[in-house]
Amino acid sequence: MMEQPDVRILERFLFHEARLLDEKRWDEWEALFVEDGEYWVPASRNQPDPHTHVSIMYEKSLLRAVRLKRYRHPNAMSLQPEPHSVHCISNVMLDSFDDDSGVCITNARFVMLEYRRNNTNIHGGAVTHTLEPHGESYLIRRKKIELVNCDGELDNIQLYF
Amino acid sequence: MYSNSELAGLIRDDAVHRSVYTDPEIFELEMRRIWGRAWIYVAHESQVPLKGSFFTTTLARQPVLLVRQDDETINLFFNRCAHKGAKVIEVESGRAPVLRCGYHGWSYEVDGRCKHVTGGDAAYKASGYSRKDPCMGLQKVPGVASYRGFIFASLAPDAPDLRTWLGATATSIDNMVDRSPEGKLEVTGGVLRYHHDSNWKFFVENLNDMMHAMIAHQSSAQTARVMGKELFPDDPNPPAEIQILSPFAENTSFFEEMGVHAFDNGHSYSGGKTSIHANYSGIPEYEEAMEKAYGKERVAEIFSLNRHNTVVYPGFTLKGAIQTIRVVKPVAVDQTVIESWTLRLVGAPEEMLRRSILYCNLINSSGNLVGPDDHEAYHRLQNGLTTDAGDWVSMGRYLGNEEPNDEGGFSATGSSDMVFRSQFKAWKNYMTANGAGD
Repeated sequence: MMEQPDVRILERFLFHEARLLDEKRWDEWEALFVEDGEYWVPASRNQPDPHTHVSIMYEKSLLRAVRLKRYRHPNAMSLQPEPHSVHCISNVMLDSFDDDSGVCITNARFVMLEYRRNNTNIHGGAVTHTLEPHGESYLIRRKKIELVNCDGELDNIQLYF
Repeated sequence: MYSNSELAGLIRDDAVHRSVYTDPEIFELEMRRIWGRAWIYVAHESQVPLKGSFFTTTLARQPVLLVRQDDETINLFFNRCAHKGAKVIEVESGRAPVLRCGYHGWSYEVDGRCKHVTGGDAAYKASGYSRKDPCMGLQKVPGVASYRGFIFASLAPDAPDLRTWLGATATSIDNMVDRSPEGKLEVTGGVLRYHHDSNWKFFVENLNDMMHAMIAHQSSAQTARVMGKELFPDDPNPPAEIQILSPFAENTSFFEEMGVHAFDNGHSYSGGKTSIHANYSGIPEYEEAMEKAYGKERVAEIFSLNRHNTVVYPGFTLKGAIQTIRVVKPVAVDQTVIESWTLRLVGAPEEMLRRSILYCNLINSSGNLVGPDDHEAYHRLQNGLTTDAGDWVSMGRYLGNEEPNDEGGFSATGSSDMVFRSQFKAWKNYMTANGAGD
């Protein structure tokens, strides 16, 4: 029987994750996922799955590894000049807690600015994390990002939410 | 205002004037004379399955409304109320017994006839209008035709026969349909809308530009290739992600051998016997279903056609081998939206759809690993062409080296600029012809 964590502990985890992304500490960020943990940005509201409906992004470790290598590649045209992000995470809530496994599902709201070459794109939405306990902290089994404009016309999205 | 001879003077055999990509006045003329004269893809029949099903989109920027009448008939209306001119239907799709304008409540039958005028006809007694007058109903787009479920429309009343106009690119559509064991496709799985800050022609040209992939997509495709070899060294069937991304980094001779093929009206395709989609792992359950439906010999024939991109000029592009289409929506001289749709092969196992969806996620979404580099290239073109370095953009590579092919067009080595020359020949024809669109 696991004890339900204080929401502030989970909040701290989400803040830490966002900071790793903004500081481009990609390997540390990837290490936050369980093996084959999912990162999913659906392309429509209430999208049932990432397999029979298109998504803006659906990546497990293999595709994230390709993308993270691309970030460091000398000939990645659209990353020159490189993009930068800033994440703000708020309204963090614990939606469900499994007292057998300790798995927590959190829901938060976020705004992310993606800046590149004098252009700032504003992204925002809800983010749901499925978190597995790991030592003193957690690992991400699934991160689902529901953009408020998921079904709109979207420009390049090059950084992780 | 450009005269026809000035417009013709923008196109040389081996080069095109930069203003075709940068001048807003030319863009406006293109909307009337190319996008207002050619057949433009609207939707697939499966998107309006039942009587009263509707789908809204744009045709050369104008809002249009596609409505299923009955089993056989589909009407395409300008999405404009006959009363004050408001768009009648704002949502993307749905089903309705009548089409009602939300402003003053005028309503229309699904066949476009005016059904109800708020307050009754008496108000128009003095004006002499009657609900029965065609001008009181929804106005039809002049040309609508369907080829194997793909609906096209033309703003010109004198558009040529669609099948004839499609020419050899009709066989790319055939090949996609034939890949269904039931000979039937269904649009499914949503749409991706990718905004580009660049002229529509850069995208259209790039699809059959066989010289850019291994350079522009090196950072993702070469990376996937190397990782595939490291992680799955002896696996003939590495994960689909690796199989989809790696061929973009094939060497130049692979793309030269794929070849390009150009036809009348600016249409083209690349690949044929092989393409970047040719070496995906087989899906035995699918192959069995196909053989049961068509017999071994015919199936071999269907699968032997493996085209890369087919461009139905100006704005419809398809990949038969992976069942996706990309629809070009010009917005302004330097703004374009690309819509990506996926088609289910009816009667095929779901794994086929999953592969098409995965392909779209990886190659067509705004967050994908390949498209931002293409978009960046278009952006740099849009920017570079504003300089005083020169007015002409070269399209002279392998000029004159093309050979007639047996489909009535011409074929050339992959890196030839023949496709671009062919597109601008059609461009010039449309832009300088007299008649509709003037």
